[in-house]
Amino acid sequence: MSPLDRRALLKSVLVLVGAAAVGAPDLAFAQGAAPRFLSAPRFALLDEVSALIIPKTDTPGAREAGVPNAIDSLLADWASAETQQRLVASLDALDAESRAKLGAPLPAAPAAGRLAFLRDYDAAAIARQDRGYMQLKQLVMMTYYLSEPGATEELRYEHVPGVWEPWIPAGPDTRAWAV
Amino acid sequence: MSFDAIVVGSGMSGGWAAKELAEKGLKTLVIERGRPLQHQADYTDFVQPWELQNYGMVSEAESHADYPVQSQCYAFTTATKHLWVKDSDHPYTTPPDKPFMWIRGYHLGGRSIMWARQSYRLSPMDFESNKKDGYGSDWPIRYEDMAPWYDHVERFAGISGAKDGLEQLPDGDEYLPPMELTGVEKEFKSKLEARWPTRRLITGRCAHLTEAKPHHQELGRGQCQYRSLCDRGCSYGAYFSSLSATLPAAERTGNLTVVTNAIAHSVIYDPKTGKASGVRVIDAVTKQGRVYEGKVIFLCASAIGTAQIMLNSKSEAFPNGIANRSDAVGRYLMDHLSGLGGWGRVPGHHDRYHRGRRPNGFYIPRYRNVTEPGDGYTRGFGFQGRGQRANWRRGMNSPGVGAEFKQSLRSPGDWELSISGFGEMLPRPENRVTLHKNKVDQWGIPVVHIDCGLGPNEQKMIEQIGTDARAILEAAGCEDVQVFKHYGGVGLGIHELGTAHMGRDPNTSVLNKYNQAHDVPNLFVTDGACMASGGCQNPSLSYMAMSARGAHYAASFLKEGKI
Repeated sequence: MSPLDRRALLKSVLVLVGAAAVGAPDLAFAQGAAPRFLSAPRFALLDEVSALIIPKTDTPGAREAGVPNAIDSLLADWASAETQQRLVASLDALDAESRAKLGAPLPAAPAAGRLAFLRDYDAAAIARQDRGYMQLKQLVMMTYYLSEPGATEELRYEHVPGVWEPWIPAGPDTRAWAV
Repeated sequence: MSFDAIVVGSGMSGGWAAKELAEKGLKTLVIERGRPLQHQADYTDFVQPWELQNYGMVSEAESHADYPVQSQCYAFTTATKHLWVKDSDHPYTTPPDKPFMWIRGYHLGGRSIMWARQSYRLSPMDFESNKKDGYGSDWPIRYEDMAPWYDHVERFAGISGAKDGLEQLPDGDEYLPPMELTGVEKEFKSKLEARWPTRRLITGRCAHLTEAKPHHQELGRGQCQYRSLCDRGCSYGAYFSSLSATLPAAERTGNLTVVTNAIAHSVIYDPKTGKASGVRVIDAVTKQGRVYEGKVIFLCASAIGTAQIMLNSKSEAFPNGIANRSDAVGRYLMDHLSGLGGWGRVPGHHDRYHRGRRPNGFYIPRYRNVTEPGDGYTRGFGFQGRGQRANWRRGMNSPGVGAEFKQSLRSPGDWELSISGFGEMLPRPENRVTLHKNKVDQWGIPVVHIDCGLGPNEQKMIEQIGTDARAILEAAGCEDVQVFKHYGGVGLGIHELGTAHMGRDPNTSVLNKYNQAHDVPNLFVTDGACMASGGCQNPSLSYMAMSARGAHYAASFLKEGKI
C-alpha cells in the first residue's frame, strides 16, 4: 500500500468511526501513516500517550518522531498474539481510567488535565508493576530514543566514532549517547 | 576430486587449519556445511539504529517457532538473524530435564563472525589441572608446547592487550596497544587490588586491530572504529574472523578450494591402509551425496559437530565411529558457566564521560584455587566486566512522564559497574553427545542427542561467583549492588569443548599430542573437541593455536611420509 493509499484509508476510517469515538480528535497523527494494527480510537490514544510521555520541547517529541506508527508496526510485525493482547489491554485499561477520571477518552479530555492524569496513572501502574503498561512505556521510549530525531537531536549518536575516549570532561549540558 | 588436505569447517579452527596447510603448499579443500557468506557485502554494520527491522527485535512468533534456542543468545537480533541457524531446520535432542542450548551459525566463517573476540591464553596451571585433581585425562602437552603457537596466531590475528605478568594468564609476545580503561574502571582496579592484592584487574585482551600492522593491511584489514557493531560482521575487517583474515590468507596461496552447502556426513576409513581416505558430504541444497578424497583430514566442525561426524563414521573396523576405540568420542562435553555476576552503581564522577563504543572491557583473571582457596570445589572462574555511564535505558522501569521526564534522561546517568563470571566445568564422561537412535535430519544424518549437566563442583562454583561478585562490588564502594546467580544454562557460554580430547593413553582418549587420532594417523581434530579441559578463559585463541600447531605436524608427517 502506498503512503497515499494509507492516508486515504485513514480518512475513511475517521469518517466511519466519526467524532463520537475519538471525541474531538487531535489529527496530528493523521500526518503519519494509517495504523496497520490498532483501531483508530486505540491509535489515537497511543498517539496521545506517546506525546504526553515524551513531548515536543526544544527537540521533537515522540509524536514528531513517529513513535505511534512505530509501535503500531511493532504490534503488527513483532508482537506475538499474547503480547498484542497485553498491549491492547493496557491501552483499554488506560482508556477506561481516563473515562472514569476525566469523563472522556484521553485525546478528547481538556488538554490541561491530560498530563496530570497520566502522571498519576504512570506512577500507580509502575508501583503495582503493571506489565502491560510498563511494556507500552518501554516501547515508547525505545522507539523514540532509537528514532533518528530521538537519537540525533534529543541525544547523540555516532555510527562510526572512530575513537575510544574513556574519560572526557562532561558538564550539565552534556547529552547522553543514545547507543 | 582429490586433495592433499581436507578441512571440515570454516570457522575459527577450520580457517586456521586451511591457512596453515595451504601456506605449507598443500592443495587444501575446505568443506563448509552452510551457505557462502561474503566479507563486507553480507554484513549489516552500516544499518542505523532507526533503520533496523523492528528495532532489532526478531518477531516473537518467529523466534518461538524457528529460533527457540538461538534467540536465547545475546547477539540474536534482526541485524544478525541470518547468522544463526534455524533451530527448526537443524534439530537435536536432549533429556527433558537437561536442556542444552546449542548456539550455532552455519555459513562460511561459522561463529568466527559472531564471536565475542576475547582472546586469552590457557596457562601452565590449566594444562596441569586434570593431572593434579584427577578429573579427565592428563593433557599430553604442557603450556610450553603451546606458547610458540600462541605467539604465532596472536601476531597474525592481531590481539590488543597489555603484558600483565600473571602466571595464571600468560602474556602474549606481541600485543597491539590495549584499549584504555575508564577512570571508574581504574578506580575499581585500585580498590580491588588494595583489598585483595592477588585479585588483579587487567584490560581485556581482544582480537581487534587497535593498530593495523602491514601484515594486517595486506589482507585489507583496518583499524577498529569503536562502533561495537561487531556481531553484524565488520566491514573494516578490524576484528579477526575467518572471512577477514585466515581464508583470504589461504586464498592468496593459490592452494585453497572452498565448497559451501556441503554437509560432512562421515569420514571414510580404508581398512587396507588403516587411514582415512576422504569425506562423504551431502549437498545441502540437492541432498545428493558425494565424496572428496584427501591425504590428511582435519575435523574443525565445532566440538559437537565434529563428534557427530566421527560417531557417524562407522565401519567394520570402527563400529562405534571412527577413531573411537576408546569410546571417548562424544564424551567429556564441557562449556563455561556463564550468565552469573553482579552490578552496582558508582557514586560520583559526573564530570566525566566516554566517547566511542569500546568492544571490550576489563578482566579479573582467576584467583580461586590460585592464590586463594575455592570454597569446596576445584578449578575456578574469572570475571569480565565494564564500568560506564548509563543512558536512557535507566528510565525504562522508572515512573515519570512529560518534559521533566524527557529532560531527566537527556544527560548521561550514573556510572555503573558490571561483572560477569565465567567458570570452568569439569571434564566428566557422562556429559555426552551421542547419535539419536532413530531420528535423522532432512539430509538423512542422525541428529545428536546432547546429555550434559552440572555436577556439585559447578554448583559450588556458581555459589561462590555470586558471593565474590557482591563482595568485590561492595568493597569498591558500589551502591544498590545486585547479584545475578541465575545460571542461563549449559551451552549459553557458547564454548563447547572436549568431545574428542587429547590424552596420553589411546585406551581413554581420542587424540595424541599432535591432535592426531590415536587410531587413524591421518585424521586430525583441532577444534574445541580436542580440549582435555577448558580452563575458564574464552577458548577461541586456544583453538587457533591448536589448529596452527596441528597443521604444522600434519604437514611435516605428510612430507616425511609418516602418514
